[in-house]
Amino acid sequence: MSFHVLFLVSIVAGFVGAMSGMGGGIILIPVLTLFGMDIKHAIAVSIVSVIATSSGSASAYVRDRITNLKVGMFLEMFTIVGALAGAAITLVSGRRILFLLFGIVLLSSWGALFRQRNEGWRQAVHQDVFSRWLELEGSYYDRSVRQTIVYQGARAYLGGPLMFGAGLIAGLLGIGAGALKVLIHDLAMGLPPKVSTTTSNLIIGVTALAGTSVYLAAGMIDPGLAAPVILGVVSGAFMGTRLLVRLTNQAVRRIFLGVLLVLGVEMILRGIWGI
Amino acid sequence: MQVSTHSPETAQSGHRFDMESLVGYILLIGVLLSVALLVVGFVWRWARVGNLQFEHSIAGMNFFEFIVSTLRQMTSQTLRPRLFLNMGIGILMLTPFVRVLASAFYFAFVEHNWKYTLFTGFVLGVLTYSLFLR
Repeated sequence: MSFHVLFLVSIVAGFVGAMSGMGGGIILIPVLTLFGMDIKHAIAVSIVSVIATSSGSASAYVRDRITNLKVGMFLEMFTIVGALAGAAITLVSGRRILFLLFGIVLLSSWGALFRQRNEGWRQAVHQDVFSRWLELEGSYYDRSVRQTIVYQGARAYLGGPLMFGAGLIAGLLGIGAGALKVLIHDLAMGLPPKVSTTTSNLIIGVTALAGTSVYLAAGMIDPGLAAPVILGVVSGAFMGTRLLVRLTNQAVRRIFLGVLLVLGVEMILRGIWGI
Repeated sequence: MQVSTHSPETAQSGHRFDMESLVGYILLIGVLLSVALLVVGFVWRWARVGNLQFEHSIAGMNFFEFIVSTLRQMTSQTLRPRLFLNMGIGILMLTPFVRVLASAFYFAFVEHNWKYTLFTGFVLGVLTYSLFLR
């Protein structure tokens, strides 16, 4: 695959991924396979680029003090073990199974995004003893409402094991699995949406590193393929973030829902027919 | 939800260089350095041979061997564009690792929070193990 194709495809993936908030991998991998790249190599290349995009955006969010570092550090223990297991499974899996799994994850993300359209944040009413012991509380200054939001994370006993599953999917499919992590933060742990998204970003980098190490050891990271993808996804994400402020949430969501649906169906059909 | 109307300045007073700054700057510097090395590699390749294709893979090495091998080649042989690509990817992979390492030190020696020192120590241990895989 030539530099130009890889770079352009990655710019588009990074751009759409940043605008939707779901990261570049979920778009990048199906499109790379459409251009003829083997799905396992596309997964390996994608997961390296996930480190770049998540670390880049996490750096800003952490300095803005929205990210909850303790929540991140606690949950990382589960996601990295999941990512190692997931990447190891990919190495021995059949390609058709990977296509099918990817299609299912795409369609599930579509479903979750479709359902979430008008839902707001529900604060955890009661903080359990374990979450209190883990010091999962925090506050951040919300510029949009000009207020300091104080919150308490709850049900860490549920969030941890669920995060193992999110890490497993991330390592298995070479994606950040940010949507899933945000969902766990929101629904299981009762964290505010901004804290969920930014903390998920922090966790994704370390999770992707664990997955990358398995693919590197298997000799599947080709710097000649990975480097244009990293540069493309980072550039696309940079542009996408800037354009995001000009578009309405509804417009962004509508575009992304359409893309997820088409790619999800396409991956499942390829998995069934073995193309 | 509890809210207060403190400004960020008030809310963050007393923070000079804390854990957030440390983690944030490690991530920022890591990604920028990595991207800069990749760009240098590609620009140099373009100037030298007129195309941007690289054909080399990393096989039979764990991450640390890959870094040592790249550094050894950079110091002992003539600098080549592909070494910049290797270093760019190496630095990118080191970025979250260094972030976890720094967090572990911060929890241990600045905050004296042994619970979180243990958690980050566990993450660091698993990551180090994974980077030794071959």
